[in-house]
Amino acid sequence: MSTTERIWEVFRQEDEGDPMVHAGNVNAPDEELAMHYAREFYGRRGESHRLWIVPRDAVTELDDPDLLKPPFDRSHKKPGGYIIKHKLEAAKQRAATEAGE
Amino acid sequence: MDLDSTTREALAELLLAVADDEFVIGFWDSEWTGIAPMLEEDVATSSIAQDEIGHARALYQLLAEVTDDDADRIAYGRQPDAYRHAALLNHRRGDWAFSVARRYLYETADAVRLEGLARSTHEPLAQLAGKMRREETYHLLHAEAWLRRLADGPPEVRDRLGDALRRLWPDAQQLFAPLDGEGALVMAGILPEPMATLHAAWMTRVRAAVEPIAGQLPDARPSPGGRTTRTDDFRWLHGEFTMVAGGAEAAALW
Repeated sequence: MSTTERIWEVFRQEDEGDPMVHAGNVNAPDEELAMHYAREFYGRRGESHRLWIVPRDAVTELDDPDLLKPPFDRSHKKPGGYIIKHKLEAAKQRAATEAGE
Repeated sequence: MDLDSTTREALAELLLAVADDEFVIGFWDSEWTGIAPMLEEDVATSSIAQDEIGHARALYQLLAEVTDDDADRIAYGRQPDAYRHAALLNHRRGDWAFSVARRYLYETADAVRLEGLARSTHEPLAQLAGKMRREETYHLLHAEAWLRRLADGPPEVRDRLGDALRRLWPDAQQLFAPLDGEGALVMAGILPEPMATLHAAWMTRVRAAVEPIAGQLPDARPSPGGRTTRTDDFRWLHGEFTMVAGGAEAAALW
């Protein structure tokens, strides 16, 4: 019996169509027992519609600030980076006027 | 369904046997709560033990309807000698290998039995068996996963598992011990096949899985006394699970 336990990250979906949300993790020596333990920890009260059970070492982690929090102003990459409210109103008005003609 | 008194008595005998099996294995396995090999397994074992007691409760309720009794009284209000679980469940918890061996032998037998009972002509029993199977499928997978893990383990682990399987083998047969009223049950289709047929089906499957671990096993058979012999181990457990329900507090108002 291998005593090496692996960590498995568990994601759960509450209802069909809902996003998969990280629920937590379990220790288990293999995939089969990981399934049983995930079920006991995150599904035995009928709270889950579906579980994803992923070995932690299968997860590619990215936490490099140079990639995630770049030092330059990148506010133009956010949806709020452009102020289009006035342009949009003007366009709507133009469309209404054209439709009225 | 209107049953004549012979058939009703036989049905009660069957329900009591299955209910007591589930009840007693549930209590034995709950003895692992807090001390199972790892935290996750502790939760899983405890939860499975709870499931078994839940199944016992549903069966006792069905029995109470048949015999016009009370489910709690049946569960907790009997002397040890009146319990009808199979001899397999007479042993105390033992070590982890022993518990895994017992759960494997039990779950495989329970699967065969429930497959039969799900086809029972007694509709409430067929429905309950169908519901129980949905959970028991996972209990069996869990027991099989552990059996394989221990069988593939280092020599000491494998030896302990093999010893436990050999020791429990004769008593496991008693899960299919003949019932007094079996003829009437089979005739009415309440028990779709005789215990001997269920036993043969189980034996074929389990022998092939267990002999590579335990070596050649003797040709053990179910016997008529397989559900009536009680042990000191069980008397101790009975004292534990009736401590509140049967003690001085029994008539207390909470």
